[in-house]
Amino acid sequence: MSRAVAIVGSGPSGCYLAQALLKAAPELRLDLVDRLPVPYGLVRYGVAPDHQGTKGVIRQFERLFERQGAGFVGNVAVGEDVGLDDLRAAYDAVVLAAGLSADRTLGIAGETLEGVHRAGRLTRALYEHPDAEPLPELGPRVIIMGNGNVAIDIVRLLAKTPDELAGSDLGPVPSAWLAGSGIEEIEIVGRSPAAAAKFDAVMVKELAKLEGVRIRVLGAGASDDPEGAKKIAALEAIDGHGAGPRRITFRFGLTPMELAGEGGRISEARFQDAQGRAIALPCSAFVTAIGFGAEGVLPRDALIGSAADREAGVLAPGLYATGWFRRGPQGTIPDNRADAQLLATRILADLEAEGTPAQKPGRNAFPAWARAVGYEGWKRIDAAEIAAAPENRCRVKIASRETMLALALQTEECPQ
Amino acid sequence: MNIMLLYGTETGNAEMLAEDIMAELDGDHDVECRNLSDFAPDEFDRSRLHMIVCSTYGDGELPASAQPFAEALKAAAPSLSGIHFAIFGLGDSEYEETFNFGSKGLAELLASHGAVQIGERITHDASGSDMAEDLAFPWAARMVALAEEKIGENA
Repeated sequence: MSRAVAIVGSGPSGCYLAQALLKAAPELRLDLVDRLPVPYGLVRYGVAPDHQGTKGVIRQFERLFERQGAGFVGNVAVGEDVGLDDLRAAYDAVVLAAGLSADRTLGIAGETLEGVHRAGRLTRALYEHPDAEPLPELGPRVIIMGNGNVAIDIVRLLAKTPDELAGSDLGPVPSAWLAGSGIEEIEIVGRSPAAAAKFDAVMVKELAKLEGVRIRVLGAGASDDPEGAKKIAALEAIDGHGAGPRRITFRFGLTPMELAGEGGRISEARFQDAQGRAIALPCSAFVTAIGFGAEGVLPRDALIGSAADREAGVLAPGLYATGWFRRGPQGTIPDNRADAQLLATRILADLEAEGTPAQKPGRNAFPAWARAVGYEGWKRIDAAEIAAAPENRCRVKIASRETMLALALQTEECPQ
Repeated sequence: MNIMLLYGTETGNAEMLAEDIMAELDGDHDVECRNLSDFAPDEFDRSRLHMIVCSTYGDGELPASAQPFAEALKAAAPSLSGIHFAIFGLGDSEYEETFNFGSKGLAELLASHGAVQIGERITHDASGSDMAEDLAFPWAARMVALAEEKIGENA
């Protein structure tokens, strides 16, 4: 029998790794284990609902399960439902591709005030993640702190008119929430100068399509670095765009110092500029979009800290890491593909070097997985979501884990 | 027909489409499928049809796997006269200003060195409702038919 490989997490990094492994070694017994009943991770819950083209990589990943023999083991949390050591005992190789889902925080006074939100939590609510909290009341003046693509996604979605969301998979609850948000002003604030911002220029340029906004860019500066100059050029191109009711303001080089408010609710964000001057911006909500860290039951910091070869993704014999879980919250979907191709080569070489040890049972070691969600179960969820889409949406996500499980495991009639 | 099927890819979507086209044409034709990153400008062959699938990435740029090829072609500046190619683009109309600029840029680059484009450049829109292969398979069949006339005549 062939070797057994388990990949923990079925987002882009896990799927690209599975693809690279199965292309080189089609005989592998390979399972993608996910804590959610649905696959594809951040392609489903991180790529914005109005970026359906970006979600097109799912067609590649479907082939893993439909043609290449990979197994999907959904609704199984490694570290809770099954121990990492048990998983390692059952498989020849285990790869952690679980991503990073915790929002980084600023670590300044006032972050616990009402009206202070974290980008990951907010987007999980907007994108209908089953573990999401309810959508918050933002009020008329929103500050987004951060200069990555997630910050730009939030600016764009908050600024869009209902018509501009046609064709997306934004759900009815988030759609109604956006339509009734009453937002007048969105400020996006970066700690770094514009030239060092992390967003892609194309994400900024996309804002020039918004119809309900007027955009101003303050203090973008200049840069000799070609990458920095590209970002500044994109910002200059959108400066002055539009005459709509919502104002978007870009600000740079502001270090957040303190969030202040009365009665426990935020009313002002205080910054210091590069010259050391204090700057206060009034706001009704403040969203931090400053990156992600480890969360959950896998001891990522310890595993990465003691890694045999972190750069190569080797944590310990038979234990590997890839994607954001390995390298931190940097890089977009295709970066994971390059990562995966290197790691697949390493894993296959390691398996080869081991010779022929006793057969590992793989998924057969876990009889409880008979009640996990398999690929067929996910396809029932998928079909139900597409069939129920209203006219101006391409899908309506099922937001509740119970409903997903009922459909996937067919334990009851499909609710309408 | 002897076909060199080349792809330029960033996310793998163009690679998958190229493999699908290969499966579609294989049997009736002699097809070799290669990543542009593994293809050198001096490998063009007058007796072959070069069928290219190329995506677009970032701000209208060539995808990662096509960039070394484009750089090598610009540096070597070979004459590609008598070389025939057909090209299919992948893009996303969400980014309308630079929609399918990757395949457009690559076609222009090849033409500037004297290569002859067969047929029209067809583009797929990731934000549209068509499946890429539903556009690409009929395109590939048309390109092969056109190439049989042209390369056959010149041979």
